[in-house]
This record gives sequence, C-alpha cells and structure tokens, in this order.
Amino acid sequence: MSKKELLAMLLAGGQGSRLYDLTKDVAKPAVSFGGKYRIIDFPLSNCANSGITTVGVLTQYRPYLLHSYLGTGSAWNMEDGVAILPPYATQTGGAWYAGTADAVTQNLGYIEMNDPEYVIILSGDALCRMDYADMLATHKKNNAELTIAVMPVPWEDASRFGILVADETGRIVEFQEKPKEPKSNLASMGIYIFNADLLVNELKLDDANPDSSHDFGGDIIPKLLADGRRLYTYEFNGFWRDVGTIASFHETSMELLGETPSFDLFEKDFPIMSNTLSYPPAYFGPDAQVDDCIVGNGSKIYGEAVHSIVSIDSVIGKGAVVKDSVLLPGAIVKDGATVINAIVGENSIIEEGVNFGSADADKDYAFCGNNVVIGKEE
Amino acid sequence: MAKAIGLITANYSTKFPSPLTDGRPAASIPFLGRYRAVDFALSNMVNCGIRTVGMIMPYNYRSLIDHVGSGREWELTRKGGGLFILPGSAFGTSRTGSRFLLRDLIHNKVFLERDNADFVIVSACNWVYNMDYNELIDAHVASGADITVLTQAARDKDVDVCGFEMDGTRVKGIKHGVAFGDTAFLDCFVVAREKLIELLDWYKANDYLDLFEALTGEYERVNVQAYNFEGYAAPLFNKETYFKSNMDMLDPKITHELFSIRPIMTKAHDNQPAKIVTGSKVSNSRISGSCRIYGTVTNSILGRSVVVEAGATVNNSIIMQGCVIKSGARVENAIVDRNNVLPEGTELCGTEAAILIKDKA
Repeated sequence: MSKKELLAMLLAGGQGSRLYDLTKDVAKPAVSFGGKYRIIDFPLSNCANSGITTVGVLTQYRPYLLHSYLGTGSAWNMEDGVAILPPYATQTGGAWYAGTADAVTQNLGYIEMNDPEYVIILSGDALCRMDYADMLATHKKNNAELTIAVMPVPWEDASRFGILVADETGRIVEFQEKPKEPKSNLASMGIYIFNADLLVNELKLDDANPDSSHDFGGDIIPKLLADGRRLYTYEFNGFWRDVGTIASFHETSMELLGETPSFDLFEKDFPIMSNTLSYPPAYFGPDAQVDDCIVGNGSKIYGEAVHSIVSIDSVIGKGAVVKDSVLLPGAIVKDGATVINAIVGENSIIEEGVNFGSADADKDYAFCGNNVVIGKEE
Repeated sequence: MAKAIGLITANYSTKFPSPLTDGRPAASIPFLGRYRAVDFALSNMVNCGIRTVGMIMPYNYRSLIDHVGSGREWELTRKGGGLFILPGSAFGTSRTGSRFLLRDLIHNKVFLERDNADFVIVSACNWVYNMDYNELIDAHVASGADITVLTQAARDKDVDVCGFEMDGTRVKGIKHGVAFGDTAFLDCFVVAREKLIELLDWYKANDYLDLFEALTGEYERVNVQAYNFEGYAAPLFNKETYFKSNMDMLDPKITHELFSIRPIMTKAHDNQPAKIVTGSKVSNSRISGSCRIYGTVTNSILGRSVVVEAGATVNNSIIMQGCVIKSGARVENAIVDRNNVLPEGTELCGTEAAILIKDKA
C-alpha cells in the first residue's frame, strides 16, 4: 500500500445513550439528520472535501445499519475505501473498545499498514463543516506533534468541556477537564492531528499502563503535556454541534431552517455527500401548505408543514399538521394527526387524529424511535 | 427465473420532442425532474435479475454516458457481466423511426454470442413503465412463441407509437402510428438468445430494416405473440405525450405504481433536500432536490436545483434542472429546458393546446 500523508480514524462506536429511542437500534453516527443525511455524512464529507481518501471507521454499538450505509465509501469519493474496523480477536483473545484511545490502539495495525505521516482522529457523532487540510497546514506550520481543534465557547459554559489553555502562539500549556474555574474558553472538539510515529508510540505506552482509562482527553493529552511535547490548538469558529441529546438534536435540526440558516446545507464550497436511495421528487398535494421547511425526495405532503424537517420518503396526510418538528425518513403522519415540537423516528407512524407533542414551551420535546406506531392514548 | 441478458437500443432518435432532443438523444430526455428516459428500461431489466446489459449508443451519446456511467447505480459494475456500451448507426434511426434496426443488432452479434443466457430482453427506451420482466419471460416460455412482444391497448391516437396487426394474441404485422384501442408496441420483446442470432442471420441481407419490418410476410413462419402489460405505461415520443406523461406524475397512485413497488434507479447526485421558504406557495407539484422555492408553484414539475424567486409564478409547466425563475417572472403551459435564467418580469406562456418550449440555455 502506498504511503499516505494523512489517514483519518473516525470514532463511530458511540451509543449516544442520551438520544434514547433514536439510538435504540442504530449507532449515533447512523442517526438520520437534515432530511436525507446521517450524522456520519458530515465528518465523511469533511474528509472528502479535505482531500482525505482513506478512512478507518471504528464501530462497536449496533453496527448493521452503519456498516451497510458506509458500503465501500464510494458515496464520499473514498478512492481507497472506507475500512470498517469493529473489535476483533487475536491469539491472545479479544476485547471491546474500552475508550477512545483504546479503540485506536486496537487498530494500530491498520495505521501501520497504511503508514501515514499524520493521523487525524475524528468523532463520528458531531456535526460540523471543517477543512481538515487547513488544520494539517497549521499543524505543519507550528511544527507541532499534536494539534487539537478547539472552539471558543461562552465562558459560563466552559466548565462543561475539556478546556485548553494556550499561549499567544497557540501552544497548549494546560489542559483542564470540565474545570470549575476555567482559565480559557477554548473547548476541545475531540478532533486531533497527531504525527503518526508519536501516536503509535504513545498508544503502545498507554496500552501497557494499567492505571490508564485509555482516553485521549483523560490520559494521552495530559501525558504529552507533562512530557513537554509540542501541542498546539487549531481554532475553529464555524458551525459545530454535538447533537448528543434529544433537545440538542431538535434545536440543531431547526438551525437548518429559515432564509439564512446558521447551518446552511446549500453552502456551495463544502457539499455534504450521502448514500441514499433514489426516490422521485417530493409531491405537494393540491391542498398542501408548506412554510419554511426542508423537504426530501420521495416525501408526500397533503396537509400542512410549518418550520419542520420533512425527510425523504415521509408522508403528511390530509388535514394533518406538522409544526416545529422533525420527521425522519419514512415517517408517516396520518390524516388529521398533529405533530408539534416533536421528532418522529424512521418509518414510524402517527395514527389518524393523534396529537403527538405539545405547543407548550415548558414541556420537553416529544419523540419516538424507529419503526413504532403511535396510536391514540388508551 | 431463466437466465436472461438485456439489450437496450438507445439510439432511437425521435423527430420530436424537438428542441428537447437537439442537444441530447431521446434516451436521455429528463423525466419527472430527476430521471432520464433510459432509467426505466435499465431498471426494469436489473429488477428482474438481469446483470448483463448491452446498450446500443446514439451518435450524440455525451449526456447518456454521463448519466449511465459504468452502470453503478444499476449494480452493473461487476466482474461477471455488467454494462456493455455498444456502437450504433452513425446518425441514429430517426429517418425510418425504427426501434430495432437489424444493422445495429447484427453489428453487435458478438455481444449475444459471448453469453450463454437462454433469453434476451430487447428494449428501446421511449416508454415509462415499471414491470417485472419475469412475467414476460414466463408468458414467452408458456406459449412457445419465437418472439413475445410487450403491448398495451393504446390510450390515445399517436402517430409515433408502433402498433401491431393482430390475430388473437398472434402478431400479423407491424404499423407506424396507432389509434385509440389499437395494440400498441411498448418497444420491448423477449426472444431466445439463439433464436435472435438465427433471425439476424436470416435477415442480414435486409439490414436496413427494423426487425419487425423484416418479419413482414414472415409472421406465418415466425410465431410472434403479444403479451399485454396491465400496468401504467406512457410514451415519450413527442411534445404532447412528453408533457402529458410528465403531468401524469402529479397523480400519487401512478407514481406509487411507477416508483414504489420496484425501484427505478437513476444517477445519484448530492442534492440537498428542497427548501421551501416562508411566503412561498407550492401545490399539486413535484419538487426535486436542491430546489429553493420562494415564489408560487402550481401543477408543475421541477427538476433539480431550480430556484423560483419571490413573486415569480410557475403554473402547469415542466422546469428542468438548474433553471432560475427570477422575481416577477411568469411561466405557464411551458417546458423550460435546463439552465435557463428567466429574467425579472419575463412572461413565458403557452396554452394548454400549444405547450411552449424554451431551449436549453
């Protein structure tokens, strides 16, 4: 295999437990988002748009849909293919991935096989548009050994994140994990570029350390800092969301809407690629009323949709109202039903006349998982 | 099913839907916003299990090759079989209106000889329908015919559709043009692979004829049976049928039959979902991916990446990929071909009886 400059390792094994029923059957990176995409489309498209052609995807939780969706990776122009890397057994046994660093450690063989100069570690469950090639250029310019993508967050939120304190040149001087008194507001985005040699060595050392929890944030970064290695920040000021909870999933979906959305799917320079089936164009019935929505192919709207995401192949029946909501692919809202402030899972059905969700701003968002039927309450 | 291969004659070039076929072969005329005519023949073949398809190319094949590529969307990128791009007559077959010019079939006999499939399904690509060709093959085997042609009672008079003179279910002759109720040819037939090779050898002296014209006078000797297709089928031969067939897609019952029972595959694009902005009005229409609608769209079909600005209205029209309908422009009873930008205040209005066509920009 020819030598590559930059190899991506995409951590996609997460369950996303705070998405509850949305991740009951599928891993968080495979959750549908934005009308026709799945969350993993965003980091994979970033790779493609950054010229990365080899990606190892580390999977663990509920992998079937994710694996079949990834296919060979050709949907994202991965000419060397996407390598699906689940936990595997060796002569000395096998184990689940115990942490983010451990997942990569168990696949050091894959990194060595590709023999890259640099490795970028990505999270498969965050939404952002980011040029990794620019991050690599910064890494090289700083002559860094590890570069961590950071994002300024409001000071009052800083204690919820891993915070990096850097000097005026961007060199990291301190790492604070969820600090009570943050010294900086630059939060780690969990995106790292390592010099490959350093990464391989450090992971081997970490693997042999019985006291380590095998986590990049908790173990690897503090050790490298203590060793006096050259760690730099790469500041990112674009759109980045973790969509880790039902509320943030809903709110981030709503950020796609409006005439000038904060997350604009129509931005030309950085197209988001996906691996979807062919559906005919969306059908709008004679009495359809659609206001401020994004509407996927294959969907059929007979009723009313307001400020909502109407994903591919979903249906809004006659007299039905969908408002401030997200219909995931194949969701069906039958005649006369109302869906307000809600998320309806893939291929799930809201029966005729049912009211799902509430306009009451104090109530939590209503949501249901994939392939369920919501009937009238008994 | 018995093993079959497919052969698509994609070089039929109609006299019409003219400006629409000036820059592209009839096989790659856009249909329902995101499809092209060839998708139906190709998908029908793949859906019935065929994995070897030869495609006889028109001379102006650029857009067709761009669309089918290596056949990836139809799972025809494979080691065994796959998509074979075959040469066709220099300038297509428009003069005679033939679908299955013997010369084209004879020139590509090697394609037929190299396979060991029992049957060949041969199809042009000027009809829109979704069918399980196994039905056709089963009927062919059951009747013991030499050739079984796919037909349907004509729903309208159409000078460009071929029809058959019938004696019961047996074909007695072919004719150009059909009246209401005639046995219309859906330009598709099944034949044993070895039988087709034999027929090509018989008629090689008359290679300027269409296969079914060459059979004229021979229908006593060659048993050609008709198999009636019960489902929805629509022709795409001229402006009127092109417009009507597209507008049929505003009936969800028809599109359910056409797209949901078996998939129709087409070239994939990374299009965003359509964006319908506050202040717009869209009804009884089909809107493709990457469209942005700020204005009013009624009874219309929009291709990919069409922008309808605020204050613009589109009614009873087909707008193809990449067009921009600027603020205050009005489009009615029209077909607007790709990449047209209609400036502010443009009025582009045909009538229901005379649909207006705006050429590709």
